[in-house]
Amino acid sequence: MRLSGKLLMSLCFMVIGVVVMITAMEWPFRTALFPLIVSIFLFLGALADFLLNLFGSKKVVSKQGAVDFQLSEDIDPALATRRTIVAFSWIIGFFLLILVFGFVIAVPVMVFIFLKVQAKERWGISLLLTGSAMVFFLGLFVWLLNIPFPEGWVFEGLKMLGLG
Amino acid sequence: MFDAFIGGLLLVLQWKPLLYMLIGSAIGFWVGILPGIGGSATLALMIPFIYKMTPQEAFPFLLGMHSVVSTTGDITSVLFGIPGEATTVATVVDGYPMAKKGEAGRALGAVLMSSLVGALIGAGFMAFSIPVVRPLVLALGSPEMFMVVLLGLTCIATLSGQGKRGFLLGLLSGGFGFLCSLVGQDRQAGIIRFAFGQLYLWNELPLIPVVVGLFALPEIIDLYVRGTAIAGHVSYGNLSKGVKDGIKDTFRHFWLTIRCSLIGSFIGILPGLGGAVAQWVSYAHAVQSAKTPEERAGFGKGDVRGVLGPGAANNSKEGAGLIPTVAFGIPGNSGMAILLGAFFLLGLIPGPDMLTKHLTLTYSMVWTIALANIVVVAVCFLFINRIAKLTTIRGNLLIPFILFLCFIGAYTSNNHIGDLIVLVLFGGIGYFMVRFHWPRPPFILGFILGRLAENYLYVSVSRYGASWLYRPKVIIIFLIAVAFVLYHFFQNKALKKEEADEA
Repeated sequence: MRLSGKLLMSLCFMVIGVVVMITAMEWPFRTALFPLIVSIFLFLGALADFLLNLFGSKKVVSKQGAVDFQLSEDIDPALATRRTIVAFSWIIGFFLLILVFGFVIAVPVMVFIFLKVQAKERWGISLLLTGSAMVFFLGLFVWLLNIPFPEGWVFEGLKMLGLG
Repeated sequence: MFDAFIGGLLLVLQWKPLLYMLIGSAIGFWVGILPGIGGSATLALMIPFIYKMTPQEAFPFLLGMHSVVSTTGDITSVLFGIPGEATTVATVVDGYPMAKKGEAGRALGAVLMSSLVGALIGAGFMAFSIPVVRPLVLALGSPEMFMVVLLGLTCIATLSGQGKRGFLLGLLSGGFGFLCSLVGQDRQAGIIRFAFGQLYLWNELPLIPVVVGLFALPEIIDLYVRGTAIAGHVSYGNLSKGVKDGIKDTFRHFWLTIRCSLIGSFIGILPGLGGAVAQWVSYAHAVQSAKTPEERAGFGKGDVRGVLGPGAANNSKEGAGLIPTVAFGIPGNSGMAILLGAFFLLGLIPGPDMLTKHLTLTYSMVWTIALANIVVVAVCFLFINRIAKLTTIRGNLLIPFILFLCFIGAYTSNNHIGDLIVLVLFGGIGYFMVRFHWPRPPFILGFILGRLAENYLYVSVSRYGASWLYRPKVIIIFLIAVAFVLYHFFQNKALKKEEADEA
């Protein structure tokens, strides 16, 4: 199963290499030179990796440890996959919340819902931490740094309709 | 000269400059800790406050702030795996795994002490090299800078995984980073590349959302999957004990810290490269210091040397980065460009005057960098145990706040919703890279150096044709780059032979 993920990863990079090559061919020489060289290299490298994943020995595949952070391996794989999907959902959910309602609404809503629904915290703690996040956000980023935050599609829509 | 050196110290120690330096350092402390709010942006925000200050007050304020940002930026990198600054990403690679093993105190002790050593070496480097660095900087034209960038890219060999497969993945990762750096308007012909019709992408992919997405989001997902605190089930006592060990580690690997500080200083004086490059080159150097394959395998899993190297280089480049700005009016990075504006606002012209008429003021900058770092590191050590205890808070309580900081940090990069899309996209890419053992450090190195390489190459070709290839300095730097790659392979071979002999 893991090997198929690796295959897919190499395949993705091969596709990226090909798409970049095709796109770069329409550009003048100077603009296209670097993207072409890098994409050809990327395609050939990804192809080599793809073939090695397919036909190479499993022993070698398992030895290719990266000089990098490693995901925890002491969790049951099925549980880990389920939790990973939930974590991704929270990240994308937060992003969508910002997009639709803007930061000012999304920050307290996300913090509160996560604490109450996901972490199953008590009401008091959830409200206290949500309030702290809100004070920190408004105090530092809105009031002190005066960063212009987007209002979100809902409020922008209401404004366009003359209701906001 | 010695009088000016002492005069610089006495100038900073006057009550008003000292007070401004402390205020600046306090601001820099928090700016460093908060992800996304960069030292350069804050420097720009602080410029209006210096209108009524004298140069003797303004520079302690600005440099006091700017010089400590990298120091405290390492704290969030270690504790939560979120780079506080774009220049503190390399610290995540080993610092965060240390925190996960319950060694947050040790990692913080090591990174803060090495940062202090680095800052002092950088300040010293600035103090003593001002008279001699001019010919060096002016001797490096575009062809030589292209070769220096190439030298930086050779670090990919060291930052890749083990074995031939690991090396292949490292090269692919670096190549992909290189490709991502080409997004946006081509500076030679003005043609838009890979922008997908989005105006946001015309000005290339922003570094902060890419870095935060690639490095922080996979760590957040893993924290959620584990369902524990960052430090797992390690008790409070074990965390605080490590601080002293971390400090001792700095002195145990003192020569590594010194070497990485010098690497940071050297890269600092070269315009256009900066801390984002210095940290990875020094990290690669730290990895090379491993004597056995087992030792090398420990990098990325919580080796303290992986924290010491980038910590030292990040801070040493600050002092060295001032040299071209002060002495020649050539800003090495965006922060220095803003500082250059401060010079003009205060009625000073960078150049020979700063090395003669205003030499005392120049040396006061050296002292400001040194003193501000000493003060901030001392304050950090006072609270380090409490800071380290953050890693024992339940993950479920931390995740919404870390996520919130990631999104805000990414958004403040351009104040554009596109920053968030880039963050989420690269978060996904980062996760799959980690999952399938594709090393992320080569990606960042390719991403940072890609566009620089392209620019320097085209300027070299336009200006010199093919003759730039025969310039002696180009050949020398190229040979150093070749030697760097060969050293990596020969070292690997020697390690394997040793292993076989032992078996």
